Amino acid sequence: MGLRNRFTTGENERAQQTVFGVRKETVEGIAWSLPYLAVFSVFLVWPALKGFYMSLHNWDPFVPSESEFIGLDNYIALFNDPVFWDAMKGTIYFVVLSVPLLVLIGLGLALGVNKNVKGKRVLRAIYFSPYILTVAVVTLIWAEVYSEGYGLINYYLGFVMSNPPGWLTSTSLAMPALAFMTVWWLVGFNFVIFLAARQGVPERLYEAARLDGASTWRAFKDVTLPQMRNSILFVVIIQFILQFQVFAQPFVLTSGGPRGSTDTLVYYLYRSAFSQHQYGYGAAIGYVLVMILVVIAIINFKVIGTND
Amino acid sequence: MTDATAEQTSRFDDVSLRSLGTHAVLYGVAILMAIPYLYTLSRSFQPRRYLTDPQPYWIPPEITFDHYQYLLTESLFVQWTINTFVIAGGATLIILIIDSMVAFSLTRLDWPGQSLVMGVILASFMVPYYMNIVPLYTVVADLGLVNSYWGVIMPAVASPLGVFLLYQFFRDIPDEYEEAARLDGFSTFQIYYRIILPLARPILASLALFMFVYNWNAFLWPLIVLSDEAAYTLPIGLVNLYQGNITTPGLHMAVTVLASLPLFVVYLFFQGEIVRAVQIQGTGSTG
Repeated sequence: MGLRNRFTTGENERAQQTVFGVRKETVEGIAWSLPYLAVFSVFLVWPALKGFYMSLHNWDPFVPSESEFIGLDNYIALFNDPVFWDAMKGTIYFVVLSVPLLVLIGLGLALGVNKNVKGKRVLRAIYFSPYILTVAVVTLIWAEVYSEGYGLINYYLGFVMSNPPGWLTSTSLAMPALAFMTVWWLVGFNFVIFLAARQGVPERLYEAARLDGASTWRAFKDVTLPQMRNSILFVVIIQFILQFQVFAQPFVLTSGGPRGSTDTLVYYLYRSAFSQHQYGYGAAIGYVLVMILVVIAIINFKVIGTND
Repeated sequence: MTDATAEQTSRFDDVSLRSLGTHAVLYGVAILMAIPYLYTLSRSFQPRRYLTDPQPYWIPPEITFDHYQYLLTESLFVQWTINTFVIAGGATLIILIIDSMVAFSLTRLDWPGQSLVMGVILASFMVPYYMNIVPLYTVVADLGLVNSYWGVIMPAVASPLGVFLLYQFFRDIPDEYEEAARLDGFSTFQIYYRIILPLARPILASLALFMFVYNWNAFLWPLIVLSDEAAYTLPIGLVNLYQGNITTPGLHMAVTVLASLPLFVVYLFFQGEIVRAVQIQGTGSTG
């Protein structure tokens, strides 16, 4: 029997094998998928659906079956809730402060390191390293740096200012302080993605630009930016989505204070559900959050994605 | 050779000046970024009376191991470390096994409904994690998993990221390997275990490291599920220490050093893989 022959019979046999009348490969395929699909269904899909159901009820955490159906009342209450709007404002302020810095500094560092600099590996290691820390560690370190009495920043500011500010106790400075700390923590992620994207741009495009007498700025605008567009889009969307969900920084460092100036949506969601036991209300905040994030993603796609 | 060098120097004089500026900025940022680490490390060894002095000491005038000793003997630090290891390690192991199985099934086996399943998994990327926490908590509570390892591990395992990365990799493995193996009478399990997994070792390593670091650092979900102090993970435990002890900055600094040490060792040895895992995400998700 020739090789080809053996092969075809082998394949045919395999395709024709059945278990209780079902193709063997179908049975196998489902069996191999089952462990993940079971976990995925129970811990991701089901909660996502249940959350919507919960958001339409005055959810009773102790006897869920007796929860009262209230339609859109949670959403309406949310709309009229001043704490919710303050948390929304705080979140947007945090996003507006952190995302542009995260993107621009990440891009700047990546383009710089991509040039012929010495010690690229050391620089990459340092820029990326805060990213591997847990947010809890990051906030504890910066609590020391920002401290009013013995903090590093205020000690050195003391040489040029008679009265250095309380970074975490001032209503106007607390949120920028949290945003700056977040940039320190996460900028390495963007740096690493931009660096890979920049290294993927074919060098001949720059040679062509040089031959045409293009300036550095022209080369950046006409070669680097368009070539890196997908990565920039990815980073901008990811950062919007992540920073919109800011929670641990205000939770650990400021408890949303001073006077609500660092309250955020996820922190409010957490308090509603897990401190005040208003589960339906918390679930509704979660759904509003998703709708905002979907809209942001669409806007980003429209603005950056189709800019040929 | 010499001529060429001379010519280069003259032609690139302004370039080398600019390059000097680039170096200055890049290294300046690096130093600024490293300062919080060095400060933390230094303070974790300082006796209390230097810590409350408004003047910072970069090199401690006197060294003490008291903070470390306290953490290792008087607190639940060791227990928290064990918890974090079990949770991060367990989640990573399960993710590798079941994600590679489903990705194998979706790319190397042929069955009806495959594209629908992959479509649903992809669509779930649109669900931001935090939106789910309230209903997820009720599900975990109904299953009796509150305050247990499994209550933290299972939701982490449901993440579609690993499936997506492995799906892309497995899909691109040429059919020839598999066909040759079938000829030799390999079973489906043997093809998975002896052909596909060894070929995918680099991406499995990247995924494993990324997932380990991610789950080691997880904050909000463990905070919700773990209510008993002895069950805490490191991130939750150290925040608990911080919020409980207002006047012991040395202790806070020592706990951040100890809690980050395992990750820094992992990072030192596997920097390339971790960075690659991040970059695969960045390039993979935009096609």
